[in-house]
Order: sequence, then structure tokens, then C-alpha cells
Amino acid sequence: MRKTFQKWLLLFVAGAFFLTLCLSFYLQTREANSNSIDLIDLKLDDAVKQIKLNTRNVEAIRIMTESEALAKARALAEIILNNPDVLKEKGWPGRMEKILDVDEVHIINKDGIIVASSSATGYDMRSNAQSKEFLAGLGNPDFEYVQEAQPRGMDQEIFQYTGVSRLDETGIVQIGYYPTRLANAMSLADIENLADGFRIGNHGSILITKSGIIVSSIDEKLLGLRMDSFGIQSGTLNKKEPFYATIEGVKYLCKPKIFSPYVLIGILPVDEMYVSRNEMIRSIVFSNTILFGIVFLLVSFLVDRVVISGIFHVNRSLEKITEGNLDERVDVRSNPEFVSLSDGINSTVSALKDAIAEAAARIDKELEFAREIQLSSLPTLFPPFPDRTEFDIFAAIFTAKEVGGDFYDFFMIDEDHLTIVIADVSGKGIPAALFMMTSKTMIQNLAESGRSPAEIFTDANRHLCENNEAEMFVTAFLGILEISTGKFTYVNAGHNKPLFRQSLKAYDWIQTKPGFILAGLDTTQYKQTEIILHPGDQLFFYTDGITEAMNQSGALFGNDHLKDFLNSPEVINYNPADLIHVVKEEIDIFANDAPQADDITMLALQYKGHGIS
Amino acid sequence: MEIHEMKEGNKLSITLSGRLDTITAPDLENKLNSSLDNINELIFDFSALSYLSSAGLRVLLSAQKRMNRQGSLVIHGVNETIMEIFEATGFTDILKIE
Repeated sequence: MRKTFQKWLLLFVAGAFFLTLCLSFYLQTREANSNSIDLIDLKLDDAVKQIKLNTRNVEAIRIMTESEALAKARALAEIILNNPDVLKEKGWPGRMEKILDVDEVHIINKDGIIVASSSATGYDMRSNAQSKEFLAGLGNPDFEYVQEAQPRGMDQEIFQYTGVSRLDETGIVQIGYYPTRLANAMSLADIENLADGFRIGNHGSILITKSGIIVSSIDEKLLGLRMDSFGIQSGTLNKKEPFYATIEGVKYLCKPKIFSPYVLIGILPVDEMYVSRNEMIRSIVFSNTILFGIVFLLVSFLVDRVVISGIFHVNRSLEKITEGNLDERVDVRSNPEFVSLSDGINSTVSALKDAIAEAAARIDKELEFAREIQLSSLPTLFPPFPDRTEFDIFAAIFTAKEVGGDFYDFFMIDEDHLTIVIADVSGKGIPAALFMMTSKTMIQNLAESGRSPAEIFTDANRHLCENNEAEMFVTAFLGILEISTGKFTYVNAGHNKPLFRQSLKAYDWIQTKPGFILAGLDTTQYKQTEIILHPGDQLFFYTDGITEAMNQSGALFGNDHLKDFLNSPEVINYNPADLIHVVKEEIDIFANDAPQADDITMLALQYKGHGIS
Repeated sequence: MEIHEMKEGNKLSITLSGRLDTITAPDLENKLNSSLDNINELIFDFSALSYLSSAGLRVLLSAQKRMNRQGSLVIHGVNETIMEIFEATGFTDILKIE
């Protein structure tokens, strides 16, 4: 029971543990996903803000650069108006370049030819599309033009031209310069450089795509690759929803943001987005293991203390009670339920014990009655035939505690014939007692009908075999003494051989080959033997209660002990009554208070004939 | 008393040791009741049997009656004490003792 309980408790606790873990895992995963998406969104917003800021910066710098350039060009036009001769001065343009902090100064006449310059005097502005743009202003006194800054030369450095109308005559004043700040700002604002500035987490970043092609990425290997080469279609990007994609062998959580004409994609490695979740799960597993372990131990300890050990004690007591110890008391008082259970069991057992004692007393009484009835059927009055001097007979039965099946019997068939019987029914109790009564009555009836000893046993055996379901049997010895002649005819059905003292010599076993027990096999034929008794001869009959009487150490009294005792000088001449008493005394001495297991039955017959009176 | 049985097909060998008396005879009787089906050769080994009471004789008689119907019963290893009991009770006439 304890094991079963612990098994179920463990199952329950483990289940709860597993459920908690699953729930935590689910919640933490959801949390990690949502956190990751928030993080990406934040970064994408930052990137868009940065793009907008950069664009505004470029615009401001452009306006500043343009107005500065225009001011310089106008100042130059003013100088020429005030002093037209400077155009003829050699080295003037170079000096003006330094004064105005520009790189080129070109003065163009009404024909579009550069008339003054440090490097390009005589250049026809019509010869190049870029320079030709300025010629649109020829003849317009309010002309001013800041050309788009453009890369120039081998190093493709940004260069810009600005021109205004000449004030002295038709023509144009043009300055050329490197707009460094503008170039820097433009470079900063260049979307292709933007991705370098943004990291998401440790290994996440932003990809900027235009028409499905990556135009900006921290990882330069990705530049110029098409998004669909990673299996990401433009439809996916336009949905603005997060999705997963594997790029260069790493799985990413991706979230697109459209900033036309670009699509910015924030990417975060999946491994990274679950780092904190995994950390959390590890700590949950650790703390839950301890928590549930404590719960398990505590519950199992408490239940064990409160319930199981109580049941265990009750069961142990019940086992003892079942084994027959009705004195066992259940005494579990750990809680009121057990107190009530214990008291209930105790009172039930107590009632049971009383009932058993009562039944036992009744049975004992009935057995006692049975025993009395059984014994009252044996002749107990001695001397039984006071007027017969030809023989002396004495018999006694010393019953064991349990009802046994021993009996003796003797009766006169006629004036000259005395029958003696001694027998032992196998088994004990009422069945043995009943079988003994049947056997005794049957033998007596058969004997009184005048049959010979062999006929008596053969017939009795056949009758006893009928309806002998319990398979009981009887060992019996029967003899008929012809008083006038001393002829003793006997038959033995498996019974102990009597001791025979012949002609005042020593006692010895009577010579006879025993027949089979009575009630064993219905076909048994018994043979009788005849001996002649002489005056003074004595026969001692007994049952195995004597020879198998046991002492404290389990030793048997034995045949030899009996024979030797009968032959001891003090005993050998005893008459039947005295002999039986001393034998019983000898057995009691031998047994030394060991309980008597079986009935002890003895019968002694002394033949006196007519000679001894 | 200890009862040791060994079955080979329709042959059952039973070795008894200790005392076959009122207390132990029912054990042997139960054992025989449950084991004797389809047995046509029952062999008892009494070499280690020290005592035999009338209750034991009764069980032997039952076994002999049953084996009379379905085969044979042989008893081996009968010592002097037990042989005396068999002789005194006439069991030597009905048992096959080898």
C-alpha cells in the first residue's frame, strides 16, 4: 500500500511538474517571440527615423551650401562690376579662388566661352552637357543656378558648380568647389550605408532591400543578393508580418517594414531570441525540481504518518487476529478515524472471542457428555462377576483430553464362555467415538450370536467397511475363554500383541501373526489361534496409548519398557487390578507431566481355573 | 515432517522425513488428493521416516485403496520400527514393501 501510494503520488507530482514546465515553456516562448518582434520593430523605427533625419540634414546643408555658394558668386560678380580690369590681371582667378575658398573660378562671356580661369581659359561651355546647363542663363540678369553636386574625376569626389549672371556685361560667373559637408551629409544619408549602424541584439541586424535586392547589410556578402534566393517572396515582405527565414544557414525571425522605395527587414537569429527563454526554463526546471521534490517528500511523509502507518499497524494486528490471536488489540490513535477503527475492531474481536469461548464451552460440555456416554457403555463395576472364582478380570481406561476411540469390553456369552475385547479406533473426536460405539456394539452382537472369534471379526469387518466414508479403522483383539477348559481362542486385527505370563514364567508377547485392521478392506479373512491357559496364567492387554506415551523430551515409553516393567520382581505377581494401577503409575512417572496424547486402556485377565480360589 | 515429491509422467515418488502422525497426516492426505490423478505408479520412500501413527496408517490405507483401482503402490526404505508397526497392524498383508 505504501508503495502504491508513493507510486501514484510520484506520478501526480511528476505530472504537475511536467504540466507546469509545458505551460512555462509555452508562455516563455510566446513572451520571447513578442519581445523579439518588439525589439525588431523598435530598431526598424529607429532606422526609419534615422533615414528621415539624414534626409532633413542633407536638405539643410544643401540650402546652406547653396546660399553660401550663391553669395560667393554674387560677390565675385560685384567685384568684376566694380573693377572690370581685374579680368585682365594675370593670376586673378587663382587669387579669387583662395579669397573665396573655392576650387575653381570661371568667368564666361556672352558667347559661352570662359574668359578668365585659373585652369580652363578658352573652354567652350557648350562642349559638355554639364557645363552647357549654365548657358540657359545667358542674357537673364537674374540668373542664378546651383547645379546638383556630382562625382568627378578618378576618385569620384563630389563636386559642385554654382553660377550667377555677370553684372558688368552679359555672361556668367561660375564657381566650382568640393561641398565637403554636403558630401559628408549625403554620404551619411546614403541608405546603402545605413545598415552598418544598426544591430539587433548581438547577432541580429537590418537588411535594406530595394525591388527585392539587398542594398544594405552589415554582412557585405549579402549585398546585391535577391531576397527570393532565400525563399522570401515580395508578397511576404509586403505583408508586414513577422516570418522565419534561413539566411546563410542561420534561422532568423524576420520582420519587414516598408519605407518606400525600400523595404527594411529586421532579422534576429532564432537561437538568440530564445536565449533568455532557455535561461528562464532552466531556472524553472531547477526551482520546480526542488519545489516538487519537497512537496512529494512532505506529502508522502505526512500521509505515511497520518494514514499508511496506521493502516499498516491495523493490518498487522488483523493478521495476528486472523492467525488466531484473539488477545491482540488494535491501538492506533494517531487521529479520530483510526481511534474509531481501532475501537471498532477491538470490540468486534472481543465479541468474537466471547462467542468463541461460549461455543467452545458448549462444545466442551457436549464432548464431556459424549465422553461420559461413551465411557458409561464400558463395564466399570469390579468385580464384574462376583460369583465367578475361575478368573479375575480388571480393566481401566485413562482418557486423554481429547475424545478418543479406545475401548475395552468383556461379557459372558454363556455360563462357560467369557469374551474379552480391547480395541483402538483410529483418529480422535466425535467421529472416533461414534465409530467406537458402532464397533463395540457390533462385536458384542456378533459374539453373543455364538460365532467364533474369526467369524466375529470377519463379519464385523465386512459391516464396518460399509458406509465407512471417513475411512476410519479399528485395531482390535478379541478372545473367548472357555472357562471350564482354559481354552483361549483369540483373533487379532492389527492390535498390539498382549503380554502373556504362562506357567508362572516371565511375561512375553503372545505368539500370533496379526490380521489386518478392522474396517480397512472388506475382503479380509481373519484367522483365530487357540491356546490353553493354566491356572495362574495371566494376560495383559493394552492399547498403544501405553507404548506410545511420551515424555517431555519426546521419547516413547516403548514395548520393551512395558515388558521389563511387568517382569520386574515387585510387579510380576500382581493381580489384574494392582497390575493396572502400577503400570499407570509407571507411565505417569515416565511422562513426567508431559500431556497425555492418547487414551490409555488396559485389561488384565488371570485364569484361575478350578484350582485357585 | 517434510514431503518431497517427484513426478515423472504417470509415476509419482514421494519421500517422507520426520513423523507421520495425527498432526502431519492431513498434509500428506491433501498432497495425495491433489497429486494422484492419472498416477499409476506411486512410490513411497520411508528411509527418513522416524514414526508412523494410526493417523498415518489411515492415509496409507486410503492411498493403497486408491492405487488398487488405478495402479500400484510400493514402499521403499521401511526401517525396523515402522516395519514392526506394519506387522503389528497387519498392514504387511496389504502393502507392497520392498
